[in-house]
Amino acid sequence: MPESNKNHYCLDKLIEFVGNDPEAIKSMVNLFLNTTPDLLQTINTSFHDGIAENLAKAAHTLKPTLDVFGVENTYDLIRIIEQKAKRSELDLALGKHINQLNTTMELVFKELKLAYPIV
Amino acid sequence: MDAFRIFIVEDDVFYGEMLRHHLTLNPDNEVHLFKTGEECLKNLYRSPAMISLDYSLPDMSGLDVMRQIKKEHPEIPVIIVSGQEDISTAVTLLREGAYDYFVKDDDVKDRLWNVLKKIRENIQLRSEISYLKEEIGRKYEFRNVIKGNSPSIKQIFGLIEKSIKTNISVSITGETGTGKELVAKAIHYNSKRAKKPFVAINVSAIPRDLIESEMFGHEKGAFTGAITRKIGKFEQASGGTIFLDEIAEMDLNMQAKLLRVIQERELTRVGGNELIKIDVRLIVATNRNLADEVQKGNFREDLYYRLLGLPIELPPLRYRGNDIILLAKYFVDEFCKENKMKKLSITESAQQKLMGYHFPGNVRELRAIIELAAVLTDHDQIDESHISFNSADAAGNLLMEESSLAEYTRKIIRYYLQKYNNNVLLVAKKLEIGKSTIYRMIKEKQI
Repeated sequence: MPESNKNHYCLDKLIEFVGNDPEAIKSMVNLFLNTTPDLLQTINTSFHDGIAENLAKAAHTLKPTLDVFGVENTYDLIRIIEQKAKRSELDLALGKHINQLNTTMELVFKELKLAYPIV
Repeated sequence: MDAFRIFIVEDDVFYGEMLRHHLTLNPDNEVHLFKTGEECLKNLYRSPAMISLDYSLPDMSGLDVMRQIKKEHPEIPVIIVSGQEDISTAVTLLREGAYDYFVKDDDVKDRLWNVLKKIRENIQLRSEISYLKEEIGRKYEFRNVIKGNSPSIKQIFGLIEKSIKTNISVSITGETGTGKELVAKAIHYNSKRAKKPFVAINVSAIPRDLIESEMFGHEKGAFTGAITRKIGKFEQASGGTIFLDEIAEMDLNMQAKLLRVIQERELTRVGGNELIKIDVRLIVATNRNLADEVQKGNFREDLYYRLLGLPIELPPLRYRGNDIILLAKYFVDEFCKENKMKKLSITESAQQKLMGYHFPGNVRELRAIIELAAVLTDHDQIDESHISFNSADAAGNLLMEESSLAEYTRKIIRYYLQKYNNNVLLVAKKLEIGKSTIYRMIKEKQI
């Protein structure tokens, strides 16, 4: 199991939820790696297409997942993105926030794929 | 215990799966995951014990799904688990009947377990209550309650059966100890109202000043000492049966109020203005003759006719012939079972002694006599020496023992001699007989 403090994520909350069962954790990580990129994609596309409602919905869905995976520096970030989208403020600042989210998530995906390679 | 079936309705695949993993940590939980409201609604026939419902679903809102669930299965607790941190949304959902509302944050895990624990406890309690209700129903199955084969009691069975089929008021009369309340309970627990409350009020046991509040309730501050609102017995019995025992003891003022409530089918709590609709079946009982009380002006005639309904007059035990022995055997068996004693029989002579007694306290007295006899015996049978009558009605006892006139005379003289410390002169004077008669009986060892 990876050491949480060297990565951009922390699985403590996930372990609390599913128990300290390596198989269950692996299965949840795989699910995260399969579903989260699509949500991130929706956030990006919706921003580019100016569809605030879809953006807000995707951010809303992603919010608890990021919390459970303890993704570094995203607790406030995803909430700001959701709120701005809800207010239809699809501005430059929101673009920067989304970029920041993309960068962090790419790191997290890489780290998780390394720690939990799909056999 | 059966599996505790939980539905999770969550379109966020990851979060839904995580909740499923979490809840299946308890192997008693059987968790089903649905991604849409429609899938959940289609599966309601599987009777989940709890539904965890996401507020934002792709096909319909959590509120709409919950409304549909509540419409079809109002008993299923619905927990809203949502990313919405909006208080007004939570308030709306709780008002609409959500059992609880959780935001998807760090506390959701603990809150979910707590709520599951509460729901499990509630289900357990409901199941116990339902079991107890069934038990009561069985206990009060009227042939279990009223034992007997005599024609007079068979007639009562017929009347009870008639009363069960309708909502007609029932008035039960009979001497003390004949089982008026048991009959009332048997009617209730075998009627369509069996699952609703049976509430009994002994009118004579409640002080006059309190009876109105006891029956109809009161509002806070209605009188000194009314520190909270109180729901009265009529409201408590809603949908069920109210049993007014010793109805003849009710004063005229209260009778007028009761009549109004029965006629209008609504009441007002003492000190209140709100009219409250009531739906109760009335069963009344008295050991007095209500018609006589009407004649004497002690009971309102209009109320009498309202309450009379189906009259059931319970026969005194002394007119029930062999039921005395049947009941005695039943009571002794019950007593031995309850006290884990070996079975006792009742000898022929004890049976004859019982049959010769007039039981002014009726079935209640018989039970007490038999229980005492069961305690007194050192063997596996109750004989006549164990049967003792302690009725307050000594004269009645004497007459019911069916002795010869000579034996009655001896008993009476013996009784008076005991009473007046063997003062023969005084006894002779009291009984208006010659003192020589008493001396002769003493000499001949007749007394």
